[in-house]
Amino acid sequence: MIALPYTFALQRRLTLSGRRGVGTFVGGLAAGILLGLALLVWAGVPTESLLDDLFVQVFISPQGLAQTLTLTVPLILVGLSSAVAMRVKFWNIGIEGQLWLGAIGATAVSLYGVGPEALRLPLMLLASALFGAAWIALPLVLRLRLQVSELVVTLLLSNIAYLLLQHLLFGAWRDPANSFPMSMQIGGDERLALLGFGNLHSGLFIALAVTLLVAMLSERSRLGFHAAAIGANPQVARAAGIPVGLTLAIMVLLSGALSGLAGGLIITGSEYRLTQNIGWNMTFSGIVIAFVARFKPLWILPTAFALAGLYNAGSTLKVFYGLSDAVVVLLQGLILMSLLVAQFFAHYRIDMKKEPR
Amino acid sequence: MTAMPAASAPVFLELRGLSKRFGERTVLDGVGLHLERGEVHALLGENGAGKSTLMNILTGVYLADDGEIRLQGERLAIRRPADASAAGIGMVHQHFRLVERFSVVENLLLAAGGRKGLRSASEASAALLRTAEQIGLRIDPQAQVADLSVAERQRTEICKVLALGARILILDEPTAVLTDREAGDMLSAIRRMADTGLSIVLITHKLREVIGHSHRLTVMRQGRTVAANLPTTSLSMEEIARLMVGEQKAGPERAPSTLISNGADLLIAHQLCVSRADGGVGIDGVSLRVRAGEVLGVAGVGGNGQQQLADALLGSLPIEAGNLSLDGAEVTHASIARRRDLGLRIIPSDRMASGLIGELSVADNLALTRVRGGHYRSGWLNRARMRADALAAIARQAIAGATPELRTSLLSGGNAQKVLLARELDSGVRLLVAHSPTRGLDVKACAVVHQAIREVAASGAACLLISEDLEEILALSDRIAVMSAGRITGECPGGSSAEEVGRLMLGHA
Repeated sequence: MIALPYTFALQRRLTLSGRRGVGTFVGGLAAGILLGLALLVWAGVPTESLLDDLFVQVFISPQGLAQTLTLTVPLILVGLSSAVAMRVKFWNIGIEGQLWLGAIGATAVSLYGVGPEALRLPLMLLASALFGAAWIALPLVLRLRLQVSELVVTLLLSNIAYLLLQHLLFGAWRDPANSFPMSMQIGGDERLALLGFGNLHSGLFIALAVTLLVAMLSERSRLGFHAAAIGANPQVARAAGIPVGLTLAIMVLLSGALSGLAGGLIITGSEYRLTQNIGWNMTFSGIVIAFVARFKPLWILPTAFALAGLYNAGSTLKVFYGLSDAVVVLLQGLILMSLLVAQFFAHYRIDMKKEPR
Repeated sequence: MTAMPAASAPVFLELRGLSKRFGERTVLDGVGLHLERGEVHALLGENGAGKSTLMNILTGVYLADDGEIRLQGERLAIRRPADASAAGIGMVHQHFRLVERFSVVENLLLAAGGRKGLRSASEASAALLRTAEQIGLRIDPQAQVADLSVAERQRTEICKVLALGARILILDEPTAVLTDREAGDMLSAIRRMADTGLSIVLITHKLREVIGHSHRLTVMRQGRTVAANLPTTSLSMEEIARLMVGEQKAGPERAPSTLISNGADLLIAHQLCVSRADGGVGIDGVSLRVRAGEVLGVAGVGGNGQQQLADALLGSLPIEAGNLSLDGAEVTHASIARRRDLGLRIIPSDRMASGLIGELSVADNLALTRVRGGHYRSGWLNRARMRADALAAIARQAIAGATPELRTSLLSGGNAQKVLLARELDSGVRLLVAHSPTRGLDVKACAVVHQAIREVAASGAACLLISEDLEEILALSDRIAVMSAGRITGECPGGSSAEEVGRLMLGHA
């Protein structure tokens, strides 16, 4: 047998000081961005235009900022959706499915003229949340009653949701005046007000208000307290008399509703019609945002904004330098991975011991 | 090797002066033991006496702080499990080291790690069959472990360890998981193994097994060997029992609660039956009655249904038959929340797995059971009050080093237990179920826990104390029920001697 002169062991740090927490976060972010820049240079982006394309054009110039903010709105909601579910350790990886159902719900209210016209817009948003919650109800029930892993069920239900979306767009809801599979445009009263800053709409305020509400709920309410206990140790939570099933159900349905609302805001705020192209990649984005924000609702705001900027820059890069989607995804992956590695070293240190002779 | 006088040939395996400390606690203090070839050597002692630590040193899991191990007179350095295995020392744990999805032979291949003679399935299979035949056990090398019964798994594990070349076999309570008949077969097999020249350390609680099936015995108590290498035939069962539990200090240690002897029945359990998660019978027809102002001790060797009893009382395991009432209310199928509302409180045996949440703050853990009832408002929580309550609890219980914001996992065992006591022994307590409440605690922390239990009883509530620590049971209980194999097998009044309770515990009615 080969005897190594050293043995390595990972040791968990007893305490995580606030300084080390911030330090590793910033360090991880910086390392990720540097790696990402190297990737872009390697892919052929001229070094001198990196700052302009990656920063000025997405966060500073009015047009770019408006675009980034518009994209931020649904990202905030899917980030919250993931964070709320993760709070009770429920892996919702079917955010896209719930978002599509939300979009379908909002469109249905518009197409079938449900309710008085004055209330149409709020009803559309309410329907989107309810449809999203309904779509996650099945995996929730399977998990609570039969211990079926939500990982599989939420993921596969997204495929079904997409087929349902296509079924409607190629069939009953297809706009006869259009050769593409999309529904008719919603009416002017059914749209969220534009803020006169690019395409930015009042959905931004809804997203901000919802974030505050979710933050209050998870940090300050009885529900949030119980959810935190369940997420940390369900066995102890149960022994303490906490209603585990009920709390889990509320948090998970809330997660579905938030994803659904994201779909509703896309329909009423920016697309104005149901298409096949909305909501793509939202599951991945939501999980990334929630992880990077360490599941803290208020941290989700800057994280979603930053990721929106990254996406925005990605589309610019694609158009100007002919980069593939894969490079953009790789860029995001690099930044996320280095943040997570940094987080690991915030909690562990490597212990090197010389073998006793 | 130097020439030795013929009369004192070196001992086959000698443990000499082994000591081990974990932080402040000394768990082994100069322990010695001699093991000869072809011998069954019984190792006895209560829980926490240090048997497991000693065997963990012998098998290379722990490194001794002091002392040495000699094999045939030569000093043997055991720094890691591989060293022990190379020296021919093998152990069969209570929880078998078998991969369920593998076949028996695959398990041997996995453990062999490609050593010579055990590289192919056919070699391994032949080695297993050869071993099994030598000691007269039947095993099927091709069977999937998942399909085997507990007894078959045990035979498999023993053959695996022997096929790997063990000459010294440590068996940790081998009969604890077996039925009476299987246990008899296993004990005969142990004798046969010794007859073939193997040396066997038999760890057990059951005196009958010691008397009939061992050549010599060693008794440990509180980290020391109180009797070493005595021929089994030279001792009576009573003498062995006394060695195990020690001479009982008389009178003053025992302080029964200020008895309200005709207090109301706070707990009535009638013929409770509960199965274990793995399908075995956990408790079978257990009836208990605890009155206000009283401490009822449930004594017994661990693993005889204590955990299932605690779980059934709390409500985390469904009660399959029988009735349970708490402070006059029927709660057989009631939720944990309902039972807690009626005044049930619990100190679980594993405080970090089922009592406290390590990654939450001390304040959150203290509030864990109270938030539900609206103690801190029902919508937005009153965090300031939660913090103030935590500060008060920390001061009252003198929880060293704790602040309301501190992560609970950073507290020492004793201080974590104080957090648990502060939470569970609030003003609403009617019945406290304390399961091994002092496990792993030092003397000072033990005293705090014992004092808290006495105060519960003195305040007119009741306590059901489930413990494997006989001294604890004797020091606190007004009545003592003895549990064995999932049943209550006897009851003694408080103040009974350790011998009386000990005999009931070890299965002699």
